Amino acid sequence: MLFLAVKNLVQEKTRLLISVGGVAFSVLLIMSIQGLYQGWSNKIGEYIRTVPADYWITQTGATDMFHTPSVLPLTVRDFLTGVEGVASAKPFSGRRVAFAHNGKDINLYVIADDTENNVGAPARVVEGKAVPDKGEIIIDRVVGRSENIRIGDTIPVAGRTLKVSGYSEGGYILSFSFAFATKEDAESILQLPGATNFFLITVKDGTNANDVASRIEADPAVDAITKDMFVENNTNIVRDTFLPIILVLLLIGIAVGMTVIGLTIFTSTIEKAREYGVLKAIGVSNRQLYTVVVEQAVTAAVLGYLLGAGLALAVSAAAGNYVPEFITEIRWLDAAWIFAVTVTMAVVSSLLPVHRLARIDPAEVFRA
Amino acid sequence: MSVVSVEDVSKTFGAGHTAVTAVDHVSLSVDAGDIVLVMGPSGSGKTTLLSMIGTLMSPTTGRILISGQDTSTLKAAQLSRLRLREFGFVFQTFNLLSALTAEENVMMPLITAGVPRKHARGKARVALEQLQLGHRLRNLPRDLSGGEKQRVAIARSLANDPRLILADEPTANLDAKTGQDVTLLLCETACRENRAVIIVSHDQRLRTAAKRVITIEDGRLTAEERGEHDRHCRMHPGAGSS
Repeated sequence: MLFLAVKNLVQEKTRLLISVGGVAFSVLLIMSIQGLYQGWSNKIGEYIRTVPADYWITQTGATDMFHTPSVLPLTVRDFLTGVEGVASAKPFSGRRVAFAHNGKDINLYVIADDTENNVGAPARVVEGKAVPDKGEIIIDRVVGRSENIRIGDTIPVAGRTLKVSGYSEGGYILSFSFAFATKEDAESILQLPGATNFFLITVKDGTNANDVASRIEADPAVDAITKDMFVENNTNIVRDTFLPIILVLLLIGIAVGMTVIGLTIFTSTIEKAREYGVLKAIGVSNRQLYTVVVEQAVTAAVLGYLLGAGLALAVSAAAGNYVPEFITEIRWLDAAWIFAVTVTMAVVSSLLPVHRLARIDPAEVFRA
Repeated sequence: MSVVSVEDVSKTFGAGHTAVTAVDHVSLSVDAGDIVLVMGPSGSGKTTLLSMIGTLMSPTTGRILISGQDTSTLKAAQLSRLRLREFGFVFQTFNLLSALTAEENVMMPLITAGVPRKHARGKARVALEQLQLGHRLRNLPRDLSGGEKQRVAIARSLANDPRLILADEPTANLDAKTGQDVTLLLCETACRENRAVIIVSHDQRLRTAAKRVITIEDGRLTAEERGEHDRHCRMHPGAGSS
C-alpha cells in the first residue's frame, strides 16, 4: 500500500511541502541544538584530553577546573612522588580571568606553560610563537578573530599587560577560551605563591593504577581523579547548563513536527474520506487503510528528516565561519536517535487521522 | 447454490415513532449469470438493499447468504475479505481514486488481495484494453471522460474475478448513449464470464441489459418481470435482431 500513500502525498504538493517543511524545521532545530551540545562538550574535553596525566590530583572536593576551586601547596608534590607506583607528579596551574577589550568583557582561562616540567602547553599553535616568552601570551585563534586581537597586540590581564605572541586552536569553549603564559607570568596572574591548582600524576608501568589512587587518597587533603573522569566532570558543565534548554527545544521541535504532520495528514484524510470509504467497500481492511495513513505520515517525516538533516549539516558548516561560538558536532548516533524520534513523531501524529478513518462508513459510497 | 440469497430481510432506521423501514421483508435469490435490474422510485429502498447485499450494512431482521455463507456470522475483517473476493462494485459517481492512474485504480483490489504488483499491473492492462482503454492506462481520473471513468470502474470491479457485481445507478452521470454502452459492456462481460450482476437504477433503458427486472416500492418487492437482455446482448445468438 506504500504506493497509494506516496501517490496521495504527491498529489497534494502544497500539503506535502508544508508537512515536509514542518518536519524539516523540527529536525533542523533538534539536530542543531544537539550538535551544539555535542560540539561544546567535546571542545571542553578536547584540551584536557591532550594534557599528559593518568590522574588529576585535586584539592578534596574539587572535581573539575571550573566549578570548585582547587588550591594545593607545592609541597604536596613531595608526598605524591613518594607514593609507591607514582612515576611523576607535575604541578598544573590555571585560572579564569577577565579583561575588557573594546568595551566587551573577554574571559580567558590562563594556564601556566611550564616548559621545565613540560606541562600546560597549548594543544596546537597555528600561528605565531609556539612557546610564550616572558610578557607574552598565546590566545585562541577564535578569540583573536572574533575580537580583532592580532598577534603583536597587547592585552591587559589581571593587572599586567601581555603581548599576544601566537594563536592556538581547540581551546575555545562557550564563554571563555584557554590562553597560555609563561610559568612566571602565570604565577603572577594567578597569584598562587607556593601553590598550584592541580598535580598531574603518571603511574609507573606494571602498577595497578587503582591501588596508586587509593594510596594517594589516604591523604584526606587530596582527591585522585582519572583522566577520563576529569574530562567527563568538566564536560558536565555543558550538560548541566544546556540539557534543560535542549530538552525544552527538543519538546518544541517534536510538538511542531507532530502538529504539522498530524494536521496535514488529518485534513488529507478528511478530504479523502470518500475514497477511503470506497476502499473499505471494495474490501480493503481497516488495518490496510491505517497502514496507508501511517505510511503517508512516515514518508512525509522521512522526507522532512532528510531535508532537515541536510540543512542542519549545511547550517553547522556555514554558521561556524560567521559565528565562532557555533561549534557543532553531528554524530551518527545523534542522527540515528533523531531519525527514530522523527519516525515515532509521525506514527503518533497519525493516530488522530486513523481514528477518523475508523469512523468512515463504507455504505456512504452509495450516496451520490 | 445461489450466489446471493436474501431471506426475509428488513432494514429499519431509527426507533420508536421515528422509525423508518427502508426495506421490508424482502426475499430474493440471484444465481450465477443472472443480471438483475432493481428499479423503483427514489427512497424505495433500492440502495439500502444493495448496501446490505454488499455487506456494507447489516439487516435489522432476516439474513443474507453469499455463496451459502450467512454474512451475519462474519466479523468486520472477514466481511472485508468476502467483499474483496466475491464482489465487484460499480458506483454512480465512479469513485475512482483521484491520485491513481486508470491502471493503478484497477490494480488496487488485486494488490489488496496480495497479488504481486507486476502481475497486478499486467492483469489491469488486459482488463483496460478489453474495455478499449489501452490508450488511457497512465491517465488520472480527472483526465478521463465520464464514460471512460465508468469503464475504468467496471474494470476495477472485475479485477478480482468476483462472482457478483453490484452496480448503483451506473448510468446516472453519463449521457444516454454512453450509459447504455457502458451497461451493455458490463452485462456482456458478466454474461460471458457467468458472473451475477445486480444493478440498481431508475433508468428504464437498462431493461435491455437485464435478464430479470425487479420493482421495489416502499421497501417491498412488488413485481418481477423478464428483461430484454437476450435480445440485446452480443453474447447471445440473434442479439439485436428485433
